[in-house]
Amino acid sequence: MRLSAKYLASSFAFLFANAAWANCPLDLGRGTGWVVFSDHYMVAFRPEPMRIEVGQPFSLLFNVCTKSNRPAELVAVDALMPEHKHSMNYRPTILAGADGRYRVDGLIFHMPGRWELSIDVRAGEESERLMHDFILK
Amino acid sequence: MRGLLLLVLAAWAPPAAAQQLLDWSPDEVRAVGRHGPWPPPPVRDPSNRVSGTPAGIALGEHLFNDPRLSADGLMSCATCHQAGRDWSDGRAKGFGTVDLDRRTPSLWNVGYAHWFGWDGAGDSLWAQTIRPIVDPREMGGNAQRVAGLLRHDKDLACGYQRAFGGKAGDDDELLLVDAAKAMAAFQATLVSPRTRFDAFRDALVAGDRAAVARYPLSEQRGLKLFVGSGNCDTCHFGPRFTNGEFGDVGIAFFVRPGEVDTGRLGGLARLAGSPFNLLGRYNDDVSGANAARTRHVQRLHANFGEFRVPSLRQVGRAAAYMHDGSIATLEDVVRHYSEVNPDRLHSDGTPLVRPLGLSPQERTDLVAFLRSLDADPPPRPAPPPLCP
Ligand code: HEC
Ligand code: HEC
Repeated sequence: MRLSAKYLASSFAFLFANAAWANCPLDLGRGTGWVVFSDHYMVAFRPEPMRIEVGQPFSLLFNVCTKSNRPAELVAVDALMPEHKHSMNYRPTILAGADGRYRVDGLIFHMPGRWELSIDVRAGEESERLMHDFILK
Repeated sequence: MRGLLLLVLAAWAPPAAAQQLLDWSPDEVRAVGRHGPWPPPPVRDPSNRVSGTPAGIALGEHLFNDPRLSADGLMSCATCHQAGRDWSDGRAKGFGTVDLDRRTPSLWNVGYAHWFGWDGAGDSLWAQTIRPIVDPREMGGNAQRVAGLLRHDKDLACGYQRAFGGKAGDDDELLLVDAAKAMAAFQATLVSPRTRFDAFRDALVAGDRAAVARYPLSEQRGLKLFVGSGNCDTCHFGPRFTNGEFGDVGIAFFVRPGEVDTGRLGGLARLAGSPFNLLGRYNDDVSGANAARTRHVQRLHANFGEFRVPSLRQVGRAAAYMHDGSIATLEDVVRHYSEVNPDRLHSDGTPLVRPLGLSPQERTDLVAFLRSLDADPPPRPAPPPLCP
């Protein structure tokens, strides 16, 4: 599976046009990854290893930011195949690092097809779910 | 002159090879490509310190064939996993000291798996190897018996020292685990040969049309169904034709009236209760990285009645099919997928398995493709003596 470089580039362009996000470090160490955002949150993440393979365990490295610069928390990460309505056979665990950084271990996409990743974030009382789709071939 | 004429005629004849080729879209080529290359690189299991070592493999092969591991001294692993029967027993269900409820799986390519047994109760090949030794329905042995052999049998003691770099100690359970690790090292060398399918797959990926065309049309059509509308490769994925996980394809889970085989659900309970799982003290990988699946696996309602997706390499050579041997032939398996009862397969979304309603020709094609995953293995020489 390839990272969507084009999508990433366009997200960057959008984000840097928007000064409020400027403090959010998007580079997770490899100069590549995905960015998803809503009105309040921006979440950058990349897989480790860089290539997600069907049936192989992988981790996701996250950086969670808020528009208001309030500290935000990664509450839960899960994935399912929306077409077949089944989840992963594995339950990922979240490890918090410094500065809104997180490491999520124990993800396995066990079938080819569309996987929908849900990312639950919270800042204070407000929580929100951000989504990202992966197509595995 | 005659030679020249033939050449000219040959040039005129429509190229027979070109007719033997279906159109393969880039997506299909990629999907077919994922089922190789074959064979994969040799196995190195970090949880097993003798994995891939010649001395470990040699000791393991001797232990695998040694009936003294069993209570009555009559049954070895090779009683049920016979080299001449594709490492199975030629029966629909296993038979130990009593009739077993499940079929004896072939051990071809078992080293590449990550869950073992039909219910995945084992998370390493060596942990799975301990089960039949101590199960009273199978070999009925115990740690003491195995440890005694490794200490006192001249050849095995010598083989142990060569494999593990020290004399067999006095911890029986540790020696049982070491014996299982040597047997796992041996089993991981059982890699099935390349097949007609592999030649086709490599040629298709390389764009070698002449070589591609050597794969008969019926098999090509069957393969197209397999990666296309049949949806087979969502589960039978990758070079071994299994994603290594679990599924329910509508096989009855009643063993006897009133008694069910819960499959994966029970397997997960046994995994959690085993002192030999990868989270326990016998995992040789101090980093623990290889225990990711065991650490993160979760029990789901859907696990009830799920069984491991079997590899399809050498599938045509099996004596019966499914975890309980309830389907006799490959033709019947394909008919099952064609006519499976959708009510039996509860699914909220688009079901992964649904009645395909295949025509007789399509069923023939699918079987022809499945048979192209078989190849005759070369004859196996008897293992050389351990310590001549
Ligand atoms: C009495 C027959 C019998 C004997 C003896 C026996 N097995 Fe098995 N084996 C089976 C059956 C039946 C299964 C399926 C078990 C299950 O799924 O619960 C199996 C499963 C396995 C598996 C899992 C294969 C897979 O695809 O996951 C391995 C590995 C294995 N046996 C190795 C061994 C070894 C090593 C020995 C000797 C120590 C041995 N077996 C002895 C019948 C036997
Ligand atoms: C939902 C995942 C899934 C899909 C899709 C699927 N299978 Fe299976 N297949 C399995 C499982 C799980 C088993 C074992 C079931 C059991 O033992 O109860 C199996 C068993 C088999 C077997 C018997 C192998 C053996 O050693 O017993 C064959 C052959 C087979 N499938 C072929 C196919 C074909 C052909 C298709 C497409 C028409 C297909 N499968 C689609 C999961 C799947």
